[in-house]
Amino acid sequence: MVDIVVGISDLKVSHRPEDVLVTYALGSCIAVAVYDPVAKVGGLLHYMLPDSTLDPEKARQNPAMFADTGIPVLFKSCYALGAEKRRMIVRAAGGASILDDTNFFRIGQKNIMAMRKIFWKNNVMIESEDTGGNFNRTVRLALTNGKTYVKTSGGSIKEI
Amino acid sequence: MIEKILNSIKAIPAFPETVQRLMILLNREDYSVQELATVVKYDQAVTANVLRIANSAYFGLREKVKSVEQALSLLGRKNLIRTIQTAGVSKIFRAVPARGYVTTGSELWQHSVAVALMSQILSRRIRGEEDDVLYTAALLHDVGKMIMGEYVEEAMTAIMDKVTQQGYSFLEAEEEVFGINHAELGGKIAEKWKYPEEIRDAIRYHHRPDLLSEDRPVPWFVHLSDQFASLMGVDGGIDGLACRALEQTIPMFQLRHKDLETCFILLHQDMDRAKDVMNLV
Repeated sequence: MVDIVVGISDLKVSHRPEDVLVTYALGSCIAVAVYDPVAKVGGLLHYMLPDSTLDPEKARQNPAMFADTGIPVLFKSCYALGAEKRRMIVRAAGGASILDDTNFFRIGQKNIMAMRKIFWKNNVMIESEDTGGNFNRTVRLALTNGKTYVKTSGGSIKEI
Repeated sequence: MIEKILNSIKAIPAFPETVQRLMILLNREDYSVQELATVVKYDQAVTANVLRIANSAYFGLREKVKSVEQALSLLGRKNLIRTIQTAGVSKIFRAVPARGYVTTGSELWQHSVAVALMSQILSRRIRGEEDDVLYTAALLHDVGKMIMGEYVEEAMTAIMDKVTQQGYSFLEAEEEVFGINHAELGGKIAEKWKYPEEIRDAIRYHHRPDLLSEDRPVPWFVHLSDQFASLMGVDGGIDGLACRALEQTIPMFQLRHKDLETCFILLHQDMDRAKDVMNLV
């Protein structure tokens, strides 16, 4: 098993069954894990912000920073390895916030809404989602079978 | 319990004498590079750290720095203070892992550096300049976890029950279980290390700057920077996002949602430029 680390505002794809794509430190950011069980191709995106209109230049340099630019690149990178849209299984985790956050850091919520809107518009179903809450998460995607695991800080590991 | 915890402060290492002597020199108007270099070179660890930090992209020196003298003469006073504090504090973080909160010492260090970087982003934005006192306070804000960690580890079940089942913030759970929280404890450690009152208070009140007054800006800057870094996922350990937002923070800083998002981009950028500093521990 080889751990391939996906950083903040980063994405990785693979078709090697021995690989595990992992991203640590998901606070308000969101990890989107996609997997094609037939081609055995998978990808993991860790985006930071909902909308690239904030800084189009940054989005051009690093599309993985934003939901609206990162998600299309994630899918296209998987297609390049033989994946097909109709077979892709989508899972997502993250989008946490701090306590009593009523008026400012709702960035986690905005990240969740942006992702749902993009998938809904493109007729893609989100198979499972572990979002919100007040804790950080680590996400792993095993390329051998597409299983996706979430570990919460101080908590246990669960499959989503 | 409080007394036992306060007693443990004795176990924390003395602050590197080199750094204290350097700070005294830097507080004089007429310090010379030669004087500083003589003091730095007494301490091998500080020398090595100063060179690594001076060569990080964050401090932005165009030429490769090979000697301590070169680093000291090129950095300028503000950057020198930040470099020397970083070098000294990293030495302590390496010596005392804050177990209980984190699994490796480098996690708490990376969080501390991220908060220090964020404090400078906010300071540039709000006040038009960087601030080395704020930088030092931000770098040290979680120092209390070094002592508290051992007790948190023992009482983890009780604390997590309060946080996950009873709606407590992690800080409130610490207070309830121990009678003291890691921020107060950190203030006391800073006192032992003879840091000025402004820095001690910023550490002590970094979760509750509202208990001080609003015209004391440093604790508020540390407070907001801490939440930025934690939301970005670079948190200070198991307490993570179980901290409270104060509703007056954002109006006080006059930040719109767009500004908040831009700050995330700037922090991401500075963390990349300061990679060498983040990796010191």
